[in-house]
Amino acid sequence: MSRAYLNMGISEKIKDDLKNKIQRNLDRAYITRVLKILGTRPILSAYGSTFASESDKILNIASIKSLKNAYSGRYPVAYGSLFLPYEMIHALGLAPFLPEVMAGFTGGLGITDKTLKEAASKWYTPDLCTFHRSAAGAVELEIFPKPNFLLCANLACDAAQKTFYIDAVKYNIKDNYYLLEVPFTKDKTGIEYLANQIQNICEDIAKKTGKKLDMDKFSKTISLSNQFRHWAIKLNSIRKKLYNYPENFNGLNFILPFHGLAGTEDAVKVYRSMYFEFKKLLEVQDAAPKNKSKKRLLWLHLKPYYKNRIFNVLEENNYILGFEEINYVYWPELDTARPFESLAVKMLSHPLNGSIDNRICAIQNMVKDYNIDGAILFSHWGCRHSNGGARIIKDSLNKSGVPLLILDGDCLNKNNSSEGQMLTRLQGFIEIINSSYK
Amino acid sequence: MFTCGIDVGSVSAEAVILDKNNDKKKICAYIIAPTGGDSKEAALSVFNSALKKAGLQQQQIESVVATGYGRQNIPFANKNITEITCHARGVVDFFPQTRTVIDIGGQDSKVIKLDAGGNPLDFLMNDKCAAGTGRFLEVMSKALDINLENFSEIFKKTKDKVDISSTCTVFAESEIVSLIGHGADKNKIIKGLVYSITNRIISMVERIGLEEPVCMTGGVAKNMAVVEALSEKLEVKIYVPSEPQITGALGAAILAG
Repeated sequence: MSRAYLNMGISEKIKDDLKNKIQRNLDRAYITRVLKILGTRPILSAYGSTFASESDKILNIASIKSLKNAYSGRYPVAYGSLFLPYEMIHALGLAPFLPEVMAGFTGGLGITDKTLKEAASKWYTPDLCTFHRSAAGAVELEIFPKPNFLLCANLACDAAQKTFYIDAVKYNIKDNYYLLEVPFTKDKTGIEYLANQIQNICEDIAKKTGKKLDMDKFSKTISLSNQFRHWAIKLNSIRKKLYNYPENFNGLNFILPFHGLAGTEDAVKVYRSMYFEFKKLLEVQDAAPKNKSKKRLLWLHLKPYYKNRIFNVLEENNYILGFEEINYVYWPELDTARPFESLAVKMLSHPLNGSIDNRICAIQNMVKDYNIDGAILFSHWGCRHSNGGARIIKDSLNKSGVPLLILDGDCLNKNNSSEGQMLTRLQGFIEIINSSYK
Repeated sequence: MFTCGIDVGSVSAEAVILDKNNDKKKICAYIIAPTGGDSKEAALSVFNSALKKAGLQQQQIESVVATGYGRQNIPFANKNITEITCHARGVVDFFPQTRTVIDIGGQDSKVIKLDAGGNPLDFLMNDKCAAGTGRFLEVMSKALDINLENFSEIFKKTKDKVDISSTCTVFAESEIVSLIGHGADKNKIIKGLVYSITNRIISMVERIGLEEPVCMTGGVAKNMAVVEALSEKLEVKIYVPSEPQITGALGAAILAG
């Protein structure tokens, strides 16, 4: 048994132990204490040594550091919705906290039942997506850190702009709630309109935190964001040819670095180290080309974050995720001299903004670039921005000869779908793809 | 060569033993029995009964394929294949030209689209609720205290229907109890119920795209009221195998070869 394997076992044990403790002590003060201990240099170093790969280690340590900062009380905390340009939060020296992403952690921690129950008791309707409901419940239970600012956008998902406002009312900081109104078109007027909003918000937050807007810091953050983009593109280019991933790799686990860490050294380090690890794998694969027998799926939207057998079934049937929609680098290189405009362009370039044709065009590119045999759209309960276009996406892919499975389920609430039915659909889909290869 | 297909559903389990010694396949025996509370036990029981009926020993069976919701829980099966593929394969054996399969079982209903060669191209399944499944009809039959077998005759002879607005099985049951309490004609309620289940299936057929010929399988295909209502609403002839309930097990037995 290798040392890495043994260490991975220890890492799982530590995680399980922490999970149990947090389940028993669900409050902000306890989580702050745990993060304080976990975030000390010797513990972080010991924890880091339990990971099999350098990128895993960097990502896990960066996630803990980011959380520790948000809970420490030493920095102003900014709640951010998923599609926000986090570069602005980093450049302002705020500690970002992503309630939707952290709601995903509630699934992994096994506390979603509690957060959803709390949200229900506060009149959050059950047809609202569970990411937002679970986050709302965690805010109500005061599990999440207290925010100083709340920043959201109407890009793609419109739930955060409502739930964040409720959070702002709860903490009596309505003046610190900011909504970026993202226009549908990426033309000169749209860019200017959005860039002005970003600049105004940044100036207002800087004033409230007693600082001057540090344009050098903005420029540096944009530069780091470009470096992260550079390595993410290089990593993705390797994935176009790769059929064997590192053990435990799942491309659907990278929402935090891709969004929340954009503009930090950590994001650059994560993607750079992943690139070199994957490059090595490609070299091994090229030495034994027969390993290319696996079929490649494109995964659209997110996955269930509780324990499930979906990815085991894919592996058992010799399928891999050729690519995931959430890892698509959709924006151009940013201009360090024009940070607000650049961030506006980044937001406006998102395939979920504007017409459904934008998303379809991006998906078709991914199908072509990543040599895709079939696609799965995980239809997360209550997610209008993704599910609303499912039929048109299916028609478009079918025209290109790529079958699409619309897999109904819930990313967080395991009680909202039957695993048996989900696996039958998945296996049936695999059988259809396999029969077309006979 | 003998092969066996076993389909373990939520309501019934079926086993089909196929003789593939000749060029033409021949069903040697088939068994249909209630699944009960133990799907593993039900699978073993229908397997043994089918062997006995065919006059064969277990070692004479070359390969066993399991299908249905209990397919992963059958230790003596060599392989498991979903009911989507198995129903498609079984239907093609009965009606080779079939392009659309409507399968309504105890807890699942599905529509499968086939290509000209009989291969499944796409499918849709009901969501997690029991509406549009055999369970829905069973519950309503109990609420009305009228045997399911009589539904077909009642459907034929009754002109008007009482609309059932609830989709949910539990709500529909209380709606029926309430209708009976208000003196509604039970026959008209039955007609309404049949159209209710039919509407659920039609929406799936329309989503996947109707192509003829259409074939119906599963236990509910034995209920001619549902078959007739579907045929009337879809304006197509619906073919039903002589024993629609064994289609999945037959497909599994064919694929076991």
